[in-house]
Amino acid sequence: MNTDILEIGADGVDAAAVVERIRKIVDEKIAAGAYADARIAAAERTNLAQLKNDEQFAGFYLQCLRDAVYVDISDFEIRERRARLAPLLVRLKKAIWSLLKFYTYRLWSQQNQVNGLLVTGLESVDEKSSEKIRALEARVAELEKRLAALEGRPAGEPPGA
Amino acid sequence: MAAPRSIAIVAPRYPEGETVGGAETLLRRLAERLAAGGLEVAFLATCARDHFTWANEWPAGRSEVRGVVVHRFPVNADRNVPLFLARQAAIDRGETLSRAEQLEWLRHSVNSDALLEHLRAEGARYDRVLAGPYLFGLVYHAALLHPEKTLLVPCLHDEPFARQPVIREMFEAVRGGLFNSEPELELAARLLGFDPRRGAVVGMGIEEFEADSSAFARRRGLRAPYVFYCGRREAGKGTPLLTDYVRVFRERTGREIELVCAGSGPLDAAPYIRDVGFLSESEKREAMAGAVAFIHPSLLESFGIVLLEAFMAGAPGLVRAGGTVLRRLCERSGGGLWFRHYPDFEAELMLLMDDPALRRRMGAQARAFVRREYGWPAVEARLRRALEEL
Repeated sequence: MNTDILEIGADGVDAAAVVERIRKIVDEKIAAGAYADARIAAAERTNLAQLKNDEQFAGFYLQCLRDAVYVDISDFEIRERRARLAPLLVRLKKAIWSLLKFYTYRLWSQQNQVNGLLVTGLESVDEKSSEKIRALEARVAELEKRLAALEGRPAGEPPGA
Repeated sequence: MAAPRSIAIVAPRYPEGETVGGAETLLRRLAERLAAGGLEVAFLATCARDHFTWANEWPAGRSEVRGVVVHRFPVNADRNVPLFLARQAAIDRGETLSRAEQLEWLRHSVNSDALLEHLRAEGARYDRVLAGPYLFGLVYHAALLHPEKTLLVPCLHDEPFARQPVIREMFEAVRGGLFNSEPELELAARLLGFDPRRGAVVGMGIEEFEADSSAFARRRGLRAPYVFYCGRREAGKGTPLLTDYVRVFRERTGREIELVCAGSGPLDAAPYIRDVGFLSESEKREAMAGAVAFIHPSLLESFGIVLLEAFMAGAPGLVRAGGTVLRRLCERSGGGLWFRHYPDFEAELMLLMDDPALRRRMGAQARAFVRREYGWPAVEARLRRALEEL
């Protein structure tokens, strides 16, 4: 990370400026999808209460969740680390898997469907509420501007300032 | 206003030669400093040693410890613990309790009628009563015996217990409060309508020390850089988040870093997590001095003694943005960074690992800040001023 901007004045490090700069870089990387990672979604499990106030993070978290939400139900390479009986054990495991696949596939594909629908639902709620907030903010700004004009003060200056 | 000459300090326990809660340690240290400064200081506590059982383990009576007269009184035997726990759980769930139920919660919390009787009878002897932390029945009842001379040392957190109307009443009734940090005083104003003019920020002094930054890693055979945490390991302190973040950091970045945890409580088992248990004071300081960063993932701190100790050791801090007190310490000192979520954490830890010069400068700033603001001379001056002016 570029630390040139971290030198604030001759005497020392301005921690707030460092954090601000890091946040800017991180927010750009989040927008670019650099942290869309199921492991991060899992690691944030104890931080959700803190994240709920961060508007931008909700989108990011949902992105991580989208990545984490599907259970892998595809076929996989069956191995055996005990060399002596490996061929026999691999054949046995393959037989067990072929018997179970029919049952687990049905189970997990339904689970994946539910998970996917839940995330889609959450994303849609998030999108709609964000849109609504943006529209309300624009309306408030417009009303403030009109009020300021009526009171004859510059826009942006609070009443009574 | 005349300077007080005689002070009583009320706390649930008197920490003697053992590790107990930070609030009680803080009160003991303030008591010792006031006594060393020539004031008459009586420390009034229960006979309990264990904060789970509250069994009377110390003998009741009077003793003198480092210039402080310590009076110990038995914890009431008639506590209805199941009722207390039921009320406490209801508060924790965010339920609204009637006034009678709130008073029941305090009545069956830790109390000592003998201590209150002493304070009632001898109250005139004391010019000021310092009482804390805020959420114990003992402190509530003691504060209301002589509210006109009581200064709370609340160690306040933003938690459901602090929002109970009876707690607000206590803050309104007393003469004033001594707080550990500006954010704590601001929290009292916001949460309890406490008038900041009746409060003062005092805190606790941190002893100055030097520590060898390579000794801990050498002694413990640590080859990789490490981050350090010291304290109780529990959800409330944020340690599950810390272990999760370090695991994901290692997986995503491929960087070799270990997490060294001192203290007690459950901890994930992983090859890169070193549980070193309780450390001696000198080894703890060395561990702090050699760390890439001291990580304090707690959100509910009213002071952050251990972060200030790490600052004194020259370690930069890494704390959560939502932990107002710890973040403010990092902000004011320039000695630490704060993260909102994992992506911030990853970027900040990478920065500290990759830029030793920055790390050293932040550590130096942190140390200078603690010496200036939390050296004993500064704290004592704030304490004396508060006792005279409040």
